[in-house]
Amino acid sequence: MVTILGILRILHLWVNIFQVKIMLTFPAPGRTRNNTLPAFAPRIFPLRKSVSALLLPLAMVCIFLLGAYDQADAQGQKDATGRSDVLAEICSPKTDEQIRAIGVLVHIASDGSEQDLAWSSRIIERTLNRGLGCGPESKYVLIDDQNYFDAATFQPVSKPSFELSFPSLTFRVRAHLETASAELTLLVKSTPEIQESVVQTIEKNFKIADKQIIERAMKLDYNSAVLSSLKAILSLLELHSDSVDKRLAAIKRVGTEPNRRTQTALLELLKDNEYSSDPRIKTALQSSLRKVDIWLKFSNILAVAFSGLSYASILFLAALGLAIIFGLMGVINLAQGELIMLGAYCTFLVQAFFKTYFPSLLGWYLPAAVPVTFLATAAIGIMMELTVIRFLYKRPIMTLLATWAVSLLIINSVRVIFGTQNLEFVALSYLSGGVSVIGDFMITFNRLFAIIFALVALVLTSLLLHKTKFGLYIRAVTNNREMARCIGVSTRMVDSLAFGFGSGLAGLGGLALSQIFIANPNMGQDFIVDSFMTVVLGGVGNLGGTAAASLTIGEINLFIEPIWGAVAAKVIVLLLFIFFIQWRPEGMFTPKGRR
Amino acid sequence: MSVAIRRKSILGDLFLGDPKVTVIAGIVLLITIGLPIFSLGFGGIGLSRYLVNLIGQIMCFAILALALDLIWGYGGVLSLGHGIFFAMGGYLVAMHMVKIAYLKTGTPPNFMLFMGWDALPQYYAGFGSPLYTLFLVFVLTTLLAFTFGYVSFRSRVTGVYFALITQALTYVAMLFFFRNDTGFGGNNGMTGFLELLGFPLNQMPAIVGLATVSSLTAFVALIFCSVLTRSPIGHMLIAVRDDEPRLRFLGYNTIWVKLFAWCVSAVLAALAGMLYVPQVGIINPNLLSPMVSLEIAVWVAIGGRGTLVGAFVGATLIQSLKFWLTAFIPEAWPFVLAGLVLVVTVALPNGLLDIPALLRSIFTAVRRAEPAAKES
Repeated sequence: MVTILGILRILHLWVNIFQVKIMLTFPAPGRTRNNTLPAFAPRIFPLRKSVSALLLPLAMVCIFLLGAYDQADAQGQKDATGRSDVLAEICSPKTDEQIRAIGVLVHIASDGSEQDLAWSSRIIERTLNRGLGCGPESKYVLIDDQNYFDAATFQPVSKPSFELSFPSLTFRVRAHLETASAELTLLVKSTPEIQESVVQTIEKNFKIADKQIIERAMKLDYNSAVLSSLKAILSLLELHSDSVDKRLAAIKRVGTEPNRRTQTALLELLKDNEYSSDPRIKTALQSSLRKVDIWLKFSNILAVAFSGLSYASILFLAALGLAIIFGLMGVINLAQGELIMLGAYCTFLVQAFFKTYFPSLLGWYLPAAVPVTFLATAAIGIMMELTVIRFLYKRPIMTLLATWAVSLLIINSVRVIFGTQNLEFVALSYLSGGVSVIGDFMITFNRLFAIIFALVALVLTSLLLHKTKFGLYIRAVTNNREMARCIGVSTRMVDSLAFGFGSGLAGLGGLALSQIFIANPNMGQDFIVDSFMTVVLGGVGNLGGTAAASLTIGEINLFIEPIWGAVAAKVIVLLLFIFFIQWRPEGMFTPKGRR
Repeated sequence: MSVAIRRKSILGDLFLGDPKVTVIAGIVLLITIGLPIFSLGFGGIGLSRYLVNLIGQIMCFAILALALDLIWGYGGVLSLGHGIFFAMGGYLVAMHMVKIAYLKTGTPPNFMLFMGWDALPQYYAGFGSPLYTLFLVFVLTTLLAFTFGYVSFRSRVTGVYFALITQALTYVAMLFFFRNDTGFGGNNGMTGFLELLGFPLNQMPAIVGLATVSSLTAFVALIFCSVLTRSPIGHMLIAVRDDEPRLRFLGYNTIWVKLFAWCVSAVLAALAGMLYVPQVGIINPNLLSPMVSLEIAVWVAIGGRGTLVGAFVGATLIQSLKFWLTAFIPEAWPFVLAGLVLVVTVALPNGLLDIPALLRSIFTAVRRAEPAAKES
């Protein structure tokens, strides 16, 4: 019995040792579990060299003793020893070992406790910034602003007497460290901006990113932009996986997610011999690439069309007031741009009012500013009409000069009162951000706001002009002043009100533009040529024409812009306009009948 | 607008019709003769550099105002883009001076350094010659004015539309010249001029010379415009302004009349720019901004359209006022200018020249009111 028992025991121990051996020869699983292995390794290492039957029992005893000692001791001791091994590898001059250690660090952090996460993050951060000092005999210190800490336990220590060396950071190691630091940041709570920058860092080095971490991060609560980036990284990782089937599946999947990133990734793979030599993979790559190309082109066209649409809505908002004042009333109002600018300043004042009196409702200043801005700019317009323009209806060129003088007055008064700096508007949560639709095409909310605002303004203005008595009067007076007066319309009153209405619309344009462009005393000057161009092109006295003209100009502008640049686009559009006017001086759409 | 009624006199028909033009032309002639004498004649004691330079600049503006008055006051075609011709003359002469400076010193102009070019662009070839530059000022300006005027007048773009189109054209030119890769200095413009016709620009002889030449050109331009407006073609021009359709019905082709005046006006503006830029020593695309072109129209409107004297006096008065005011309170200038324009446009349709008539009517009204007051 005793002998049998003895044999069994010996066998058991053999198995035990064999297990250790397995763990030593296949270090990979050790990385995924905790850091138990590195704690044992050095102590068992010499043992493996002298595997002699004679020494075995002694060794077993040692192991048992050690195991008992380990269990008796606190977990911390084991951690500390494990940590020092990782640190040793980081300090190693071999790049491969360093990279392996970084991998371990990431897993310590992701699978371990919060303290582990903090420790790993700190070590990575310090290593990146030359703050990890390696001393002789497994002594490692963290240096932070002249203070010294034990690298394994973070206990403060005095300035070490021995000489410190720093881990050599080759380009590869640095990339790994940065990626690791980014991955760890993903696992803790941070602001969206940090998340996005972190995701970008990972994306840059997606080849060395850790799949499990990304998968874990995807389960966390991130916004859509970060999530889609993570998804893209994951599929890129799949592309580089080892099995052919997985690669094929990944290539197919990537084909359904068209964007510039996947396009370049696929192109790179196609150039890679390892991939293009396999005909199955090659055909899959090509078909995916074709799909991505088509979708990308489509999304690019959509993106250009959308920005053209938003530019058109901006043009329309700037030109809407002028469509009434110049288009219907025939007054060349060079101060139109300044009315737009005043609209932006009114919006600013409303915001300032909210800031002082209702700070909690600050986000809603924009809707509140709509009536205020409209009424204020309309009042200014009526004042202008009563004091200056009234006397000049029969002398259009003098109106031009007089309104220029008014614009000069307004600009300089605003400069004196508010100063020349740009206005600062509170970023509204419901106007920032956007939705990614397809490929690189993204609908941003502030542009969507401009488009919707322009549409609403167009509809409301046309309704007012065509369905109300006031609109009827305006049209009557502008069509035939004498006749309108004969049948009892107060033409003076209608003139003033119509001018005020046009000014109010310009002010609303300013309100919308203040959310998209910079607002300063000179902003009106940027719009004046464009808005006259829009109104004249659309055909005078025709709201629909103005809308069509702004669409035309906006789309042409945006389709030229990617080819020759913004300034050239503007120049070409203006030249086209000049030629168009030579050909059709009355604009695109002309009202039927006599004028 | 009233056509100036002229007394028939042999001398008047030959040379000067309007006594006001005679007076102003006489004054300009006196300045032309007086400038070199008073600034150089008495061994350095005389007019200061600043004043001489100022007179030279104002004379350039006066030429510019005459140019616009010819086409707006007499032809009824308002251009809000005369800055483009002014700047054209300026840019051409600047190219000449840049080239001369480069040839003389070997230091490349700033825009070459900025763009990393090691030679001036192709189109600077020949700009070393002043005669070629002068030739280009005439030819290129006429060409641009002719092309633009021909297409516009042929499709009968008139009045406000023409004004807006010229403004758009100038705006386009400004955007274009703001680009850095055009070889015209981009937004920094061109500066660092050294000499013109061998005279160093920063010394008194060149300054006095330029001012004198500007003044002389203003004199010649005044006489030329005066003769032109009283010639048959001038009468046609006035007729176009007052009733173009009727003239057309009578069988005249009005395009050529307008086009002639338009080209002459453009060349005059270019000459003014050519004389102006060496005096200020810099040119940049701001000269093409709509503001500058509008200001020209404002001089003419304030001085009085349709009279050469009005345009001339308007430009000199307003620019002198501007120089004087901006020296003391620069912030006040826009307000003063805006106020002046508003008063003139609302109350004095013919500009400052309306003031004597206005005073006279007030005076007679007061005289009539006095006996009435006594009777009651």
